[in-house]
Amino acid sequence: MTFDLTILAPHIPFLLKGAVLTAEACVLALVGSLCIGMIVAALVTSASPILSRIAYIYVDLFRNIPFIVQLFFFFYGLPEIGIYLDAFATGVIALSIAGGAFTSDVIRSGILSIDTGILEAAEVSGLSKPTIFRKIVMPIALRTSVRPLGSVFINLILTSSILSTITLNELTGSAKIVASDTFRPFEIYAVLLVAYASLTYLVSLAIGALHRYLNRDQSGVA
Amino acid sequence: MISVRGVRKAFGAATVLDGIDLDVHSGEVVSILGSSGSGKSTLIRCMNGLEKLDAGCITIDDFDVSRPKELTEARKRSATVFQLFNLYPHMTAVQNIALAPVEVLKIPPKQAEADARALLESVGLSARADAFPSQLSGGQRQRVGICRALAMKPRYLLLDEITSALDPEMTSDVLAILAKLASDGTTMVFVTHEIEFARTISSRVVFLDKGQLVVDLPTAEFFAADGGMAKPRIAQFLSKMRKD
Ligand SMILES: Nc1ncnc2c1ncn2[C@@H]1O[C@H](COP(=O)(O)OP(=O)(O)OP(=O)(O)O)[C@@H](O)[C@H]1O
Ligand SMILES: [Mg+2]
Repeated sequence: MTFDLTILAPHIPFLLKGAVLTAEACVLALVGSLCIGMIVAALVTSASPILSRIAYIYVDLFRNIPFIVQLFFFFYGLPEIGIYLDAFATGVIALSIAGGAFTSDVIRSGILSIDTGILEAAEVSGLSKPTIFRKIVMPIALRTSVRPLGSVFINLILTSSILSTITLNELTGSAKIVASDTFRPFEIYAVLLVAYASLTYLVSLAIGALHRYLNRDQSGVA
Repeated sequence: MISVRGVRKAFGAATVLDGIDLDVHSGEVVSILGSSGSGKSTLIRCMNGLEKLDAGCITIDDFDVSRPKELTEARKRSATVFQLFNLYPHMTAVQNIALAPVEVLKIPPKQAEADARALLESVGLSARADAFPSQLSGGQRQRVGICRALAMKPRYLLLDEITSALDPEMTSDVLAILAKLASDGTTMVFVTHEIEFARTISSRVVFLDKGQLVVDLPTAEFFAADGGMAKPRIAQFLSKMRKD
């Protein structure tokens, strides 16, 4: 058997559609994870013991259950109690919830590393708690967390391949279909390897650039 | 007027402020002297509401800092400059200064930015207005810290050893700004180890010892041989400070 990529040519549009779906799911899940992560990090570090307890339970729970089990629960379990969502929506929501648990943990440590003097300065200047959170705590926590958040996002991209198990034809799902149509799993999965590696590489470049931009004051040039 | 009455503050078993009474009237410059650990910073932190009092009462223009509703008003009237600057690291000098005026005083952002630039100009920093704190020297950072406090147009400035993290040259830049503020009639309470400076700009000097305010005298009397200096504790403190 020879390694012949040309046999994939007719399937490229189909694979690209899958790649676009992967990208869409990941971008939406990134936004979802960040929103959940910021809210949960705020709760965890809040003064209310009850809220912080609840937030901790969420984080511990979702970090300790395999993603595929969460996904099956949402996709196959919830319809039993009358909640129906399509595969794409389920995938995005499941990824956001799982990603949110990791994201909140990263943001939490970003928040805890902020020098208390800075928060005191904000407090005595008369800024309200919500304003301090929005204008000072979150921006500082996010900019110090760009790299670890990037790792969470890359993991999200990798994990999104599991969405193929709930009938979603994202990149991995469409590759599976092409493999069974063409009987050429070696070529198609080789392409998939390269596709995911390139995708995550590009994302990590973007993360590096974002980190440098947000922390541009640290670079030594005024 | 800032009025401190019978203030007590303890951390665990250690009583750090032990019944402090102090009045600061409009236009006064009051220096707080005292050896390390005597409670000077704690007193300032009680005045701006960062520490809860165990007993007593502090009011700023009759607003009680121990009551959350009144604390907001008290904080609009006073501003604090910190020893370690505590600038917001993700904001430029101008943004550091304009934040609270916009958010708290509801000054339009454009106006607040113009005001911030004018303040920076007044302390000789207009060229560094758009620099981040990490790109500034210590003395420059502290000047931004002072501008940030002044931008709130406070009636009272609280300053806690604001030059002690600076080298002598930078210290003199910052002290020159304080001297100008004092001569403009700004009311200030400042903790300092710069005895000679305290002597030149303050109207009153108070001396804290182990959490008690043992002396509260007009500056000239404090430094007079038959005034504060007659107290062995103060003579000892001053001679030690002058040696350092
Ligand atoms: N948050 C805190 N918890 C426990 N002890 C504290 C706390 N803050 C201050 N202290 C103690 O209170 C005492 C007074 O501290 P404070 O910082 O007010 O002194 P200071 O007069 O400002 O000294 P320095 O000249 O060194 O700045 C010290 O013994 C200090 O250890
Ligand atoms: Mg101190």
